Amino acid sequence: MKDPYEILGVARTATAEDIKKAYLRLAKKLHPDLNPGDTRAEEKFKEVSSANDFLSDPERRRRFDAGEIDAAGVEKPAQRFYKDYAGVSGNPYETEAAYADFADTDSFFADLLRRRAAETRRVRGADQLYRLEIDFLDAVNGAKKEIGLPQGGRLDVTIPAGIEEGQTLRLRGKGAPSPGEGEAGDALIEVSVRPHPFFSRDGGDIRLDLPITVSEAALGAEVKAPTPSGAVLLRIPKGSNTGTVLRLKGKGVLRGEKRGDELVRLQVMMPTPPDPALEAFLSSWRPTAPYDPRRQMEQQS
Amino acid sequence: MIREQEFLRLAQLDRATLTVWIEEAWLAPAEQDGERVFEEIDLARARLIVDLRQDMGVNDQGVGVILHLLDQLHGLRSAMGELLGTIHETRAAGREP
Repeated sequence: MKDPYEILGVARTATAEDIKKAYLRLAKKLHPDLNPGDTRAEEKFKEVSSANDFLSDPERRRRFDAGEIDAAGVEKPAQRFYKDYAGVSGNPYETEAAYADFADTDSFFADLLRRRAAETRRVRGADQLYRLEIDFLDAVNGAKKEIGLPQGGRLDVTIPAGIEEGQTLRLRGKGAPSPGEGEAGDALIEVSVRPHPFFSRDGGDIRLDLPITVSEAALGAEVKAPTPSGAVLLRIPKGSNTGTVLRLKGKGVLRGEKRGDELVRLQVMMPTPPDPALEAFLSSWRPTAPYDPRRQMEQQS
Repeated sequence: MIREQEFLRLAQLDRATLTVWIEEAWLAPAEQDGERVFEEIDLARARLIVDLRQDMGVNDQGVGVILHLLDQLHGLRSAMGELLGTIHETRAAGREP
């Protein structure tokens, strides 16, 4: 920043009152809303108001006068002025009063204005953004939801099956009404999906860790496995391990025409608390073939 | 869209003042289901009115005059923008073979 005294045009000895007066005199001349087409005035206005902010703080002013700090003012966030809103089409306040006489006598101009008025009437309403949090299974299977609108009223939302976190639904014509007679804007609904306690998603596939008992793993079994469309019977092959992945065809997420699979990863669980009978059996157990699950790991290291 | 409660908070106005401003036609919010609803432009305009009255020492009569002139000024600016647009279109069309 330049010297704030210079910007405001006051002497270094100016009183707080003088500074305020000088600022107001300049602000009246430079206020961006009173100079809507003049970017230089806007620049100067910013300069003047930060100089005023700077010198209105007695401590900062004292330190600046003592040469302890320079006048690097605090950048204020870009302020939006009335002119920034008034300058776009559909400003309900603007009036033709200042040029109605031209329009009365000049048919070319009158024509142009009529066209413009028609365009303004046709301006589309604004889009409105909403957020909607849905359950994991609703995202997979699809659902119908209702959103309460801040201005009252409700919005029915059909969640298509297979929707993903962060996807946006567009409801045509459910946004803000047109300021004129144009069509309404759209409602945009950004969907976020709550995580599920045991399902997760991998594209079109559903992943699930399924705990099984030691005997189910060793001997094989048919167990109930949950899927997003209800539980199904899953055959666990004899000698399964933790980490064995079984595929349930067509139990995943519908995406377009295709339905993904559910991938069930088995997890062998020891009984808790430990079972003395199992312990007794295992201490007397002698495997018929050598059995070293870490052999490969040791060979490679 | 901004509802009245929120508008009063954002513009730091009380209800009585807002009512006077609307009666004076300084602000013209839309109405929906019997309630006033505001847009960003109304908020910016309310802030301008505050600037005029507080910082620039304009009295209430002056505010009305300034707003009326500003509304004409913005009307003129958009008419001029329209006119310029039409002139450019006509020129571009004239250049085509």
